[in-house]
Amino acid sequence: MSLALTLAVRGLTLLGVLAVVLLLLVVALGSTGFSDRMLSAIVNEDLRGIRTGLAQTIRDPDKLEETLALRRQELVRFYGLDRPWYTRLPGMVLRVARLDMGEARNLRTFKGDRGVAELVQERLPYTVLLITTATAITTVLGLWLGVKLATRVGSLLDRIASYLSAVSYAVPAWWAGILLILLLAFKLRLLPSGGLYSTPPPEEGLARALDLLWHAVLPIGTLVLVSLGAWVYTVRTMVLNTAQEFFVTVARAKGLPEGRVMRRYILRVAAPPIVTNVVLGLAGSLGGAILTETVFNWPGMGRLYYEAIITADENVIVALTFMFTLLYVAARFVLEVLYVLLDPRIRYGRS
Amino acid sequence: MKAGEIVGALLATGSGRVGAVLLVVLVAVSLFVLVRFPLDFGPRRWNNPEAWADNPKAVPPVWTLLWSRDAVKHTVFEATSSGDGAANAGTYTFAYQHRGGGPPTFLSFAVSDVRFNARPQVITLRVERPDGKSILLTQVVVRGPRAGESPPYLRYQESPSRVNLSGDVEAALRVSTFLAQEFRVTASPSALQGDLAAAVFGVPLPGPPLAFQPLPGRYLFTVQVQAASPEDSVGSLRLALGGSAYGVMGTDALGRDLAMGLLFGFPVALAIGIATSLFATAIGTALGLMSGFLGGKTDLAIQRFSDIWSNVPLLPILVFLIFILGPRLWLVVVIMILFGWPGLTIVVRSMVLQIRSGQLVEATRALGASRRRIMFRHLLFQIAPFIFAQMIFFTPGAILAEAGLSFLGLGDPSIPTWGQILESGFRTGAVYVGYWWWVLPPGLLIVATAMAFVLLTLGLEPVVNPRLRSR
Repeated sequence: MSLALTLAVRGLTLLGVLAVVLLLLVVALGSTGFSDRMLSAIVNEDLRGIRTGLAQTIRDPDKLEETLALRRQELVRFYGLDRPWYTRLPGMVLRVARLDMGEARNLRTFKGDRGVAELVQERLPYTVLLITTATAITTVLGLWLGVKLATRVGSLLDRIASYLSAVSYAVPAWWAGILLILLLAFKLRLLPSGGLYSTPPPEEGLARALDLLWHAVLPIGTLVLVSLGAWVYTVRTMVLNTAQEFFVTVARAKGLPEGRVMRRYILRVAAPPIVTNVVLGLAGSLGGAILTETVFNWPGMGRLYYEAIITADENVIVALTFMFTLLYVAARFVLEVLYVLLDPRIRYGRS
Repeated sequence: MKAGEIVGALLATGSGRVGAVLLVVLVAVSLFVLVRFPLDFGPRRWNNPEAWADNPKAVPPVWTLLWSRDAVKHTVFEATSSGDGAANAGTYTFAYQHRGGGPPTFLSFAVSDVRFNARPQVITLRVERPDGKSILLTQVVVRGPRAGESPPYLRYQESPSRVNLSGDVEAALRVSTFLAQEFRVTASPSALQGDLAAAVFGVPLPGPPLAFQPLPGRYLFTVQVQAASPEDSVGSLRLALGGSAYGVMGTDALGRDLAMGLLFGFPVALAIGIATSLFATAIGTALGLMSGFLGGKTDLAIQRFSDIWSNVPLLPILVFLIFILGPRLWLVVVIMILFGWPGLTIVVRSMVLQIRSGQLVEATRALGASRRRIMFRHLLFQIAPFIFAQMIFFTPGAILAEAGLSFLGLGDPSIPTWGQILESGFRTGAVYVGYWWWVLPPGLLIVATAMAFVLLTLGLEPVVNPRLRSR
C-alpha cells in the first residue's frame, strides 16, 4: 500500500469512529425523547425573541397571542418537532457536529455567556494544554528512563520498575490527585489544591503566566506520575526486544559507539511499536484527564463535564461527549501520521 | 496447557503469587458480605439517613484515637420491649462513665414504636451528675389522638421521634436554668445551644467568657415513662452520646459507618469486573474466531466494524449514555461489554490466521473433522491460555471505569460502590478539610482490587508468551 492510501484508510476509519459516535448520540437522544425537549427549548427561546419584537408593533394582546401561536406552528414545523424523531436524524447529527446545542441551563462562560458552543470553546484550550503538556513530559521522561532500564535488565531497579508499572496501571489518576491534594496542598501547604489562578489573580504578564504554571504543577504532575510507570516499562520492553536482534549485535560487533547503536539501530526500529502503544493508551489518558480536571478544579472540558452532570445540563453533556470524541480522533490521526512516517515498511510500500 | 499447569506456572512467579493471595482475600470478603448483608443494603441501609442518625458525623476511625486523651467513645444506650407488646411503663437507667476528656460531641434521644389506648405517655430524660446535681434534659409528650382516630393509637412506627439535645432550644433553656440555680452563672440559652454537652458534663469556670471544666465520673441517665394504662407500650428508647471516633473506618458527613459501605463494595467491584470481562472476552473471542476462520466477507465486515468500534473512547460515551439512560449499574456493565470486545477480536483473528495455516489444523481437516469441531476443539483450545490472560487483564479496566463514572456522580444510587464513597467525600469537600479516612480507604481498595488482576496478568505472562518460560 502506498503512503497516501494507508493514511486515507486510517483517516476513513477515524471518520467512521466519529460518525458512529455521532449516530449513537443522536439515536440515544431521539429515542429517549431528549431531542424533542431540546428542540422545544430552542423554539421557546426563539418565540421569546419574536414576542419582544412583535410587542413593539402589535398592541392588541389577543392579536399578539394569535400571531405568536402561528409563529410557533411554523417553528415547530421548521425544526421537525411534528415528525417522529428518526426523520430528524440528519438534522440532529449536523446540530451536534456544529455544537449548535442552544444554551446551557445553569453554566456560564467566564464572561457570562450561556451558549453551549461558547462554553465548550472557552474550556477546550485548558484541556488541550493539560493533556499535551502531560503527554509531552511523560513521553520524554519515559523514553529516557525506559532506555536506562533496558540497559540493566534483571537488576533490582528493573524489578522495582516492573512492579511500579503494575501500580501505574491500577492507580486511577483522579485518586492519585486526591492523595496529592491531601498531602501537598492540605498537609504540607506546598502547592495550591486547584483552580487556574490564585485569588485575587495577578495582573497580566509574567506574574500571571507563572501563577498559571504554579497551579498546573499538581494536575500535570499527577497525570505524568500515573502514566509514567506503564510507559517506562513499555519502552523498556520494546527496546529490549529490538536489542536482541542480530543486526544490533552486528552493529556492536562493528565497534559502533553504544549511544549510536541505541539511537540509530534500536530506538529507530522500536519507534513504531512504541507509537502503537501510545495510541493504545490515548483513550485512557483522555479519561484520566477528564477526572483529573474534576479533582483539581481545572476549568477545562473535563471539569465542565462534572459540572454539567451535577447540574443535569443535558445540552452541555452532549456537546462535550462529541468534543471528547473529536479530540480523541484528532490525536489518533496525528499519531497515525507519525506512525506512517516512522515505519519505512509502510512509507515505501510493500507489494 | 491444562488448567492445573496454568495455575502452577502462575504460582511460580512472585507477582502471580501476590495477585493470587489478593484475589483470594477479595473473594473471601465478598462471600462474607454476600452472606451477611441484605441485598437491598443500598436503599434500605446505606441511603437511609434514619439508619445512621445516631452516629457521629465525619469522625475518624476509633483506632486513630486509641492513644489520645481527648478521645470520647461513642456510646448508645437502648432499651427495647421484649416484642410481645409488654407494657414498659417505668424507669430505665443508663450509666455513662466520663473519663475527663472532652464531653460527648452530641446528645440525642429517640423514642420509637409507641402504642397507647387512652392517654398518651409522657417520657422524661434526666441526668444525675457525679456531684449529686441533676438536670431534667427533655420531656417527650407523645402526640395525642387525632380526630377520627380509634385506639389503640400507634406513634413513631416508621421513624422515631428524635430530639437532638445539643441543638435543642428547650434543652438549652433547661440547662440555662440549671446553671443559674445551682452555680449562679448566667448563660443565655442561645450561647448554650450547640455546646450543651460541655455544660451538662462540666462545671462552669468563673467569669466571662463562658467556659466549663470537665467533671469526670459516673453519670446516671434516667428515662421515666409515665403511662396511663398497663397496656400502653414503648417499643424502644435510644440515647446516643456522640463520640469523637467511630467504628473501624470512621464515618462520613451523614454519619454512615464507612466500614459497612467499604465492605459492600467488595462483591460489587468483583461482580462489575468479572461480569464485564467475561462477556466482553466471550464476544471478542467468538467474533475473532469467526473472522479468522471463516474469512471472506464475514472477516472483512467484522474487521472493519471492530476497527471503528475499538476506537470509540469509552469514558465519554459511558458518561453520555448513563446520563441519558439513567444511572443503573447493570447498564454500566452492559455498555462496558458492548465497547470492550473489539480489541480482542482483532488479536484473536490474527492468532487464528496463524494457527489455521498450521499442520495441526490441516491434519484434522484431512481426518474429516467438521468446521465447528476444528474451530472450538482445536483453534479455541490452542489460544485458551491467551484468552484467559486477556480476561484477567480486562477486569481491572472495567472496575476502574465504573469507579471513575461513580466519581463523576453517575453511580447507581441503589448500590453503594467505592467510587461513590469517594465521590461523596469529594463533593462535600472532605479532601480539602483533611478527612483522610473518607477518601483513602475506598481508593486503596480500588487500587488493591485492580492490582490483584494486574499482578495475575503479569504472572500469567510465561504461560501466554512461551519464550519467557525458560527464564
